[in-house]
Amino acid sequence: MPFTLLTSRMVEAQVLPGQTLFSQRGAMLAYRGDVRFTPSITGGQRGVRGMIGRRIADEDTPLMTVEGQGTVMFGHGGHHVQVIDLAGDTLYVESDRLLAFDGSLRQGTMFMGSQGGVMGMVRGQVTGQGLFTTTLEGHGSAAVMAHGGVLELPIGPGRPVHVDPQAYVAHRGDVRNKLSTAIGWREMVGRGSGEAFQLELSGTGMVYVQASEEKL
Amino acid sequence: MAQFRLQGSRVLAVDLTGDSVKAKNGAMVAYEGDMTFKKKTGGGEGLRGMVTRRLTGEQMAVMEVKGHGTCYFADRASEINLVSLHGEKLYVESSNLLCTDSALRTGASFTGLRGSAQGNGLFTTTVEGTGQAALVSAGTAIVLRVTPQTPLQVDPGAYLAHTGGLKQHFQTGVNFRALIGESGGESFQIRFEGDGLVYVQPSERNTIGGEL
Repeated sequence: MPFTLLTSRMVEAQVLPGQTLFSQRGAMLAYRGDVRFTPSITGGQRGVRGMIGRRIADEDTPLMTVEGQGTVMFGHGGHHVQVIDLAGDTLYVESDRLLAFDGSLRQGTMFMGSQGGVMGMVRGQVTGQGLFTTTLEGHGSAAVMAHGGVLELPIGPGRPVHVDPQAYVAHRGDVRNKLSTAIGWREMVGRGSGEAFQLELSGTGMVYVQASEEKL
Repeated sequence: MAQFRLQGSRVLAVDLTGDSVKAKNGAMVAYEGDMTFKKKTGGGEGLRGMVTRRLTGEQMAVMEVKGHGTCYFADRASEINLVSLHGEKLYVESSNLLCTDSALRTGASFTGLRGSAQGNGLFTTTVEGTGQAALVSAGTAIVLRVTPQTPLQVDPGAYLAHTGGLKQHFQTGVNFRALIGESGGESFQIRFEGDGLVYVQPSERNTIGGEL
């Protein structure tokens, strides 16, 4: 079920019989054809168990199931939309940034605080995104929201990328992240450059960064 | 010298090879390679520059970014405009200045009444020398040429920056009666005369003039 960008802030999805699409509730802008929208009580996949997991992880953005035959246009809050196609790899993204995704993708939650020790625990606090994040895995597409345009930066061995926690949107692939500081203690006390913390992403994959330091 | 390039219209990429740039505090969104970020207390011209900026309210929260690699800057999804300076002086509000080559000198200059009508204070920031600067604007800015034969009037809220030998003064397009009560919404303009370039953004800041 491919997504097509209509504008930088609006995406169109093909809905085919027998296939399911999940979207953030209320994000439908228009549709053609015979399409049904059902609130997803469990907030996505894996039934009640998945729902409980997401509740605990605070990754339970209200979703709806989209089924039928036709095309649906999605957008939300005038935010920019980025379409990410997955080919067996895993996408890590906050649930409230997920505009819509293919039902063929396996949805889960992941504890991010386990990476990078104490600094990993601090990560959630600094990014304001909690200690858990939503994962999508498999073959299919997801539409992700960002404030401002999205920059895609590849991460490779020996080529880590540092990201401002507030500008971080999502990442994919086999990537480890930890919080790092680019300044000494002297700078931290009283006279910061405003860049006290960065997320250091290393491994192999891609990170998506928004052109803004504002939350959605 | 640091290489400035736009990555889309809202992200500035700066390639550094051991050199440095000055950037708005907190504007880094990502980097590759090794970078250090250091807050600059003044923003150039040493103690004297700092004192001037304190007095004028053109106090920039500036950091020095130094390193090897690529650093990406953005500011609240604003559009970014690149300006190449070859010895001339650029006048711009400090709030619209995203990043400057460290070879450029920054200072403050008196703008008089214009600044207060823009809601920006009486002083503006100047950038001088040879190198690149990046400005943020609300919407993509256009560059308009001013010649002695073709002066230009600009809405104070849409004015972004200017370079060259330009004289500017403030004018009102309305008489006293229109000022009290009704107005056309375009009560004040800045008039530019001389030879130079004016950067205009497709959006109007809230100004004192704009509310009349």
